[in-house]
Amino acid sequence: MSTITVLGLILLLLMVLVGGKAGAQSFLALLLNFGLLFLAIVLVAFHFSPLIVTLVVGLMVLALTIFMSSGDDLSSTVAFIASAIVLVVLVLLIVPVEQWAMVQGFGPEDSEDLEGLSVLVGINFVKVTTATAILSTLGAIAEAAMAIAAGLSEILEQHPQVGLKALFGDGISVGKQIIGTTFNTLFFGFFGGFLALFIWFTGVHYSFGEIFNDKIFVSEILMILFAMLSVLLTVPITTWVMTRAAAGQRKRAAK
Amino acid sequence: MQSFKQTSKVTWWVWLAVLLVGGLLLWGTAHDAVLYHDPIMQVTAVRQHQTTKETDDFQNVDYQTQQTLTGHLLNTKNRGHQLKVTNSYSASGAMDQRYHVGSQLFVVLHHHGGQLSATVKDRKRDTPLVFMLWLVVGLLLLLMQFSGLMAFLSVAANGVLFLLAILLNGSTQGAQVLWIFGSLAVVFAAVTLWLVLGRTRQMVITLATTLGGTLCAILVALVVFHVTHEKGMFYESMQYVTQLPRPLFLAETLLGSLGAVMDESTDIISSLFALKRERPEITPRQIFKSGRQIGSTIMGPLINVLFFIFVADTFPMALLYLKNGNSWGYTFSMNMSMGVVQSLISGIGIVLAVPLASYLASRWLPKEVAA
Repeated sequence: MSTITVLGLILLLLMVLVGGKAGAQSFLALLLNFGLLFLAIVLVAFHFSPLIVTLVVGLMVLALTIFMSSGDDLSSTVAFIASAIVLVVLVLLIVPVEQWAMVQGFGPEDSEDLEGLSVLVGINFVKVTTATAILSTLGAIAEAAMAIAAGLSEILEQHPQVGLKALFGDGISVGKQIIGTTFNTLFFGFFGGFLALFIWFTGVHYSFGEIFNDKIFVSEILMILFAMLSVLLTVPITTWVMTRAAAGQRKRAAK
Repeated sequence: MQSFKQTSKVTWWVWLAVLLVGGLLLWGTAHDAVLYHDPIMQVTAVRQHQTTKETDDFQNVDYQTQQTLTGHLLNTKNRGHQLKVTNSYSASGAMDQRYHVGSQLFVVLHHHGGQLSATVKDRKRDTPLVFMLWLVVGLLLLLMQFSGLMAFLSVAANGVLFLLAILLNGSTQGAQVLWIFGSLAVVFAAVTLWLVLGRTRQMVITLATTLGGTLCAILVALVVFHVTHEKGMFYESMQYVTQLPRPLFLAETLLGSLGAVMDESTDIISSLFALKRERPEITPRQIFKSGRQIGSTIMGPLINVLFFIFVADTFPMALLYLKNGNSWGYTFSMNMSMGVVQSLISGIGIVLAVPLASYLASRWLPKEVAA
């Protein structure tokens, strides 16, 4: 058996042991997310527009991740709507910034890996890099939206009469609790992946000026910043969607 | 409610100040060429030439265009000197790019017989980088205030430690990479948790869980590597590798999962502390059960966060493999297999941290938690 299979089986076993049915469901969501990510690459290779593929796949990933995790109906629905809004806002920001920074495709550090490959493949790599940046933030958006929505839904359950303005303040408070650890998750997640690149920079003695303008470096740092920004945006947007949902529920209850 | 009152204290002039700082930063980085040693040229005119169609061995069609850029140097002793350079770019732009009037480019100068000519090296990118940095830090401080500042400080502190560790690694030629980053992981976790939680019992329990979970995951991975002889793992597919790939891979995985395990342990243990505060009579058994309950709802989404960070990054290279006539299986092996292994190991760490956090909390929770 290959290493991936054995590690996958161990993960499945552990998730079922710890989380029971919810654990099995989360594992399935993970598998399906991998399938969706691979599908996105294949579709772009067939010349479908990278941005449209990313938006559709992104929404499916968010739906899968959020609805296949355990959580009550209200918080799951709110988390999904909020994360979809964040996704759209993020796309509107990432597209111009990637155009501006011109960090598409590959840099001189990639030349060894590119040996023997034709790079003139007729697919716009600005769009591909934009798609990559958006996809890499999806997990973070879903996680933050679920945490905020779950926290608020618990507050609503315990204090059903809480004012909408106070609820908004509570949302920001929940956000304050998660922001420190979430930023560190993103920092370590990304920097773990870039370790080899940073070692390269120090080994080849790049100057600071060269590093801060290097295509690959800027591209990677922008990805971390997009992910952090998406988590930041998720806090007020999820809270806002939750206040709308609560207001709607109260209106219906009043009738 | 306390925090809501604090939020409303952010008045319009704070926003104005942040906007002003942003404007200054943008203007500053657009005019900082004199700070660079490498010559930078500003493009003032562009002439487009003919576009030619190119077809490669795999029937991929692309278009290449030549352009002549006229501009002047912004720095070095030849500042103000007029230059003409040529650039060629493709429609896909994987390795090249189109330049416009106003672009600032790094160039390499050639002197021959008193004549100055140049070739384009790359584009200047510090302005968009600083813009995004400003946007994130500004929003973080405006929205989250004190908590935002702490989050920023912990990331900044970790960034500095990370840099030092890389320099240390460089001075030992990478021979000790796993030890350096392994011991650094302990420092990372301690500093971050100290900044977030302060010196409390809660912090000690969270730290123990974080280190325990990460260590267990790495041990499980090493056993699996040994048993399966690392079948289906392609170290040669790792990018930018300048030293022995195996310890480097483990160090990457260790660091990558550390943040997520820490995030999860913090969540579980702080919820359990809150629970104990609300219901002081709760038994250790019930605490363990609630911990498992909380943990099993957050572990799935957290594994997902890391999965997308580790694997989405391979998109451009995987796409290139597919367009160069490689099979899906080969493309997966050469681009995504290592990222998937990393996600799985981190996932194991994240799941193992759930019972660990619940157990440690149920044992070590103080009898009386101060309200």
